[in-house]
This record gives sequence, structure tokens and C-alpha cells, in this order.
Amino acid sequence: MDAKDILGLPKNQLPIPQEKKSRPPKEPQRKPDGISREVYALTGGLAPLMPSVDVSQLKRRPPSDEKVTWQWLPFTNSARKDDLQLFHWVRVVNGVPPTGDYAFAKYNKAWTKEETDQLFDLCERFDLRFIVIADRFPSSRTVEELKDRYYSVSRALLSARAPPADITGHPLVKEPYNISQEVERKRALSMVLSQTKQQERKDTEVLAEAKRITESRMAAKGPEESELPAVANIGPDNSQRAITGDAVTPSTAMPSSAIAASSTLMADNASTLASLRMLRVYLRTYALDQMVQAASASAGLRTIKRVEQTLQELGVNLKPKVPTKAVCAEHLELRKEILTLLNLQKQLQYKEAEGTSFQDSPYSETPGTPKRAPRGDQDRPFMPDPLGFGGDRFGKRDQKRKAPGRTSEAAQSPSQSKRPRKMKASDI
Amino acid sequence: MSARKQGDGQPEDGGATAGKRLKIAKFSEDPEKKGLSRRLKDAEISLPIVYGTIAFYLGRKASESQSHKWTVYVRGATNEDLSAVIKRVVFQLHPSFNNPTRVMEAPPFELSECGWGEFEIAISLFFHPDVCDKQLDLYHHLKLYPEDESGPQSTKKPVVVESYDEIVFPDPSEAFYARVQNNPAVIVPRMPAGFNISAPVAPENTSERERGDTKDHPLSQWFMNFSEADELLKLAAARQQPFMEMIYEN
Repeated sequence: MDAKDILGLPKNQLPIPQEKKSRPPKEPQRKPDGISREVYALTGGLAPLMPSVDVSQLKRRPPSDEKVTWQWLPFTNSARKDDLQLFHWVRVVNGVPPTGDYAFAKYNKAWTKEETDQLFDLCERFDLRFIVIADRFPSSRTVEELKDRYYSVSRALLSARAPPADITGHPLVKEPYNISQEVERKRALSMVLSQTKQQERKDTEVLAEAKRITESRMAAKGPEESELPAVANIGPDNSQRAITGDAVTPSTAMPSSAIAASSTLMADNASTLASLRMLRVYLRTYALDQMVQAASASAGLRTIKRVEQTLQELGVNLKPKVPTKAVCAEHLELRKEILTLLNLQKQLQYKEAEGTSFQDSPYSETPGTPKRAPRGDQDRPFMPDPLGFGGDRFGKRDQKRKAPGRTSEAAQSPSQSKRPRKMKASDI
Repeated sequence: MSARKQGDGQPEDGGATAGKRLKIAKFSEDPEKKGLSRRLKDAEISLPIVYGTIAFYLGRKASESQSHKWTVYVRGATNEDLSAVIKRVVFQLHPSFNNPTRVMEAPPFELSECGWGEFEIAISLFFHPDVCDKQLDLYHHLKLYPEDESGPQSTKKPVVVESYDEIVFPDPSEAFYARVQNNPAVIVPRMPAGFNISAPVAPENTSERERGDTKDHPLSQWFMNFSEADELLKLAAARQQPFMEMIYEN
């Protein structure tokens, strides 16, 4: 009806004059319950060819002859070793509570004497062929479970019958059956067996790549320990990918220096130097970049940003404008020193925070300690300005501070308090 | 033609002179092979270079498609001739240029063009065989329009962008060292006393060398000055900051 309304079509033409009277009473009767008027109207106002599902019939259940009540009754669990009695709701039909063991007891993997006897009997009959035994076993147990039970029982018998000193060499005692390991091993084996050819190919590729990476790592570590033998196969790889100047970072030279970052900073430098030597030619800016990355490998992004901020405040270019050998060396050393400085400051703050947390009242801060919104990457509630040691020195940050003095910082050297002025470009 | 070896595979006509040149090169390289295999351990030879662009606004002569005239180049940092080390330079321009791959076989390694757009120029350096058999790639963004956009562009004052860098050759060959130990463009390491490698006898083409440096280059007035001293001073001062002393306390 509504659709026709929208379309502007005339409503049912012929029947209108005749059935006008009979219509209104018929319509409400015709409209079935269960589906809404609009939905029914979508079908065109006529009954569907197929009888629609009567929704009201759907949720009805067959009338039950039984009388069902629910009772709060005690129960015991055969799987338990003690006599614990708990309560739960029980569906009682016609006054008869259900029989049988607690439903979840069957999930307990305990071995009964009967089961164990059956196992040993089968073991004897089938010569410890556990696959056959598992098939014949009455209750469903996996091969690994049967093995585990058999070996542990045998071991218990052995240790009970023989003096402990004699049996330590016995395989049952020396290499006990590890069921979880066995399950895992067999699962992995079946996975390997069912691998498709593509997966196999991918695996070999990944393994070859890993081998190459470890070899280059060895090669990079080689020079710092002994004289470097010709590592011809690594050389071409590195130089092919890592010749360019500023913009491009190589993919293989980086892993060797990135992996070496787990060792000390000196090793970082040495391995970066080694990988640089592999290249037949490189730009000094590229070399500096690599060294900087190696030195900052242990630092987070935040720390690196702070190093750069410090450099800027000191009036030093983040990338040297005249990158000679001397300039690059100085720049690198400066960066490393700043990094050390920041790390020390962080450690200091941690120590201080630990100190304050041991105190009783959480409100016992020393006066003048600045409060700052906690940073996302640190748990410390207070984080004084890292360069706040020299208080007014770097005035930009201090403008936001109200308390100029930092009495809480213990490491302030006496000489610093004598030089409160900000470093200017004209100073140098 | 009869001088050519059998089975050389050289083309008949056009390759005749090329074949001859090749033969000569092969012949002269052989005694150098020994020098190539002996390398200087724990030493590096470095070549300080400056590369960049200078762009002039054409003013009245400017058109829609050609508003600027610019030059891209690679020069020695002290304007010395680089050709002892660099054999050729390839500039890769924007594809909208005709023959965007421009090869410069002789110094000064530069290229001038007219255009209207800024883009990244790829500069590939190829070295002599005894120096390095791998190329080195640099990238430079061509800047035509000045930072200060106030007022009309001057045709007299160009937009200059230069970058300083040093090409480092670790473990250089003895032949390379011998050849460049007295070259003003190259930084060679100080070798221990008693270390003697005689320079090759064959002199280089002197007339070419005179033109190869950029000391009297027409654009030399615009070259930037790169002073190591300034930067070193700043760095030293920074490292001596009192607050830096903290890391040596505790």
C-alpha cells in the first residue's frame, strides 16, 4: 500500500468499489501476527505462496508430561581424594534426583588400578608396541599417556625394588619420559611432514637469509678480535647495497651493526668501522650517520630527541656543515658524551625517586622540586629538566619554571653555581 | 685491423678506434695489477668535494618553460682538479629533459641547463679502475627560488646551494696511493718513515689539468666557503661546557 502510495499509482482499481465495505473488517483479520504491517505490505498485500513460518510457534516447547523442579542438593566428586561435599542446583524430575557420578569427574585423568593392570597386560601381549596397545585399550587414552603411565610405573617399581645407588644408570631413571616434550615433538614432526612445497621453499629461504646474517655478523666481529681474513662473499653484498651517500641506509650493513649493538659501545664502533671498511667507497657523512646510529642503538627515540635538542641548544649543527674527519670525530664524541650525560641523569632520578618512595608520607617532597606532567614513557612522577642543573643557563626551558634553584639534585658541582649565565653564541 | 687479435669480437668499422684504445688500456693496466692487489691497511685516502647548484633568474629573457638558468656541478673543496680520482660523472635529470642522463667524461664536472622546475638531481661518480670499481651516488635538490620571497627575483644574485662532503676510500690500493700522494685535491695519510712508493713516471695531460680545476671558474665568486675551523671550534666549546663535566664526576 505504502509503496504504491509513494509511486503515486492508483490503489487496487477494480476491487475498490465492490469490496470497500468488506475490506476494512477483512484487512485486520488478514494481517498475520508475527510480522509487522509494513513488512507484510512489501509482499504486495497478498498472502505469500508458501506458508510463512509462524513465529509464535517457534519458541514453544512440546508440552512436558513430567513435573520438573529444581532443588539445591549436595554432591560428591569421585575424582577427588577427599570427601568434600558441595552443593548445586539439580533438575529433579517427578521427585527423582539424577543418578550417576558427578558429570565432570570423567575428565579427571587418574589411572585406576584396573586400568593400569589392563595396560600392563596389553604391554606384555603386544611387546610394548604402544600404537597397537592404544588401539586395544578399552578407555580412550593417547599413546603418549599410555607410555607415560607405563614408564612411570616401571620406574616406581624399579626404584622401590632396587637400592637407589644401583639404578642411577638405568635408562628409566636417567632419561625419564617427558610427555609434554613428546607431544610437542610429534606435533612439530607432523607439521613438517604436511608442509607444502611452497612452505618448504620459504623455510629454506629464511634459513639461508639467517645464515647469511650470522655470517656477516661474524665477519663484522672478526676484525675486532683477530686479523680479518678475506670475506669476499660478504663484501660484494654490502657494497652493492651500501654505496650511496647521504640518503640511503643499506639493509645488510645495518643488521651487522644493529646486531652488534647488544655488545658494548666499543664493539658497536668497531663493527660499524668494520662494515664501513667493507665498502670500497663511502661518504664521510654516511659514515658519521652510521656511527651515530650505532652509538644510539641502545637509546630510545625519546633520548635521541633529547640529544638532538641538547645539540641545538649548544649551537651545534645536527649534521655538520663541514664534515671533515676531525669534525666528524668531534661531533660523534660530543653526541656520545651527551648520551652518557642524559643516561646518568636518568639513573640519578630513578635513584632519587626510589629514595623518596621509601619515605612514609607521599607528600614529603623537598621544596623547590618542580612538578611536571608525567611523560608517557616513564613511570617517574617527577622529572626535572635534564638541563636544569645549570639552572638559568639554558633560559628557554627555564622560563616556564617558577623555582630556579634545584636543591634536590645531589650531583650539582660547586663550580656550576658560580656560572649562572646562559651560554650565548658570542661566547665561542 | 691486422693489429687486432683474432676473435676479439670488435665491430668492423666504428669499433676500430675503440678496439685500439681498449688494447692499449689492457696493456698498460697489467703492471698496475700488482699495485692493485697490494693495499694500504688501516689507512684511508679521502677526497673533499663540494657539490651543488647555482641558479640564475633569467629576468626579461625568461619564458614559461625556461625561467631560470642553472648549473649543477661537483668540484674539489679547494677547487683543485678532481680528475685524478674521478673518471666521469653522470647527472641524472628530470625525465622531462631531453636526454636526461648526462655524462661528463672530463673536468670540470658540471652541467648547465635552462628550466622552470625544481627537482632532485642524481649525481653518480665513477672512479678510475685503481681507485674503486664501484660508483658513488649523491643526491641534490635543485633550488631555483630564493628563501626570501619578498620582491622580484634578481638576475644578478643567484640561488646557491652547496654541500660539502668527503669521499673516503678505505684500504686504498698502492697504485692509487702512488698516483695521488702529491695531488693537492686528495688527502693522503702520513705514512711511516721508510715507506716509499714511487710515483708513476707517465705525466698526466698538463693542459687538461689546468682546465680541470675550478679556481678560475666563472661561477667561482658564488662558491661557498667551508671552514672546518668554525665547526671544530663550536664542537670543542660544546664539549667543554661545565655541565658536561658531570659525566666525569661520580
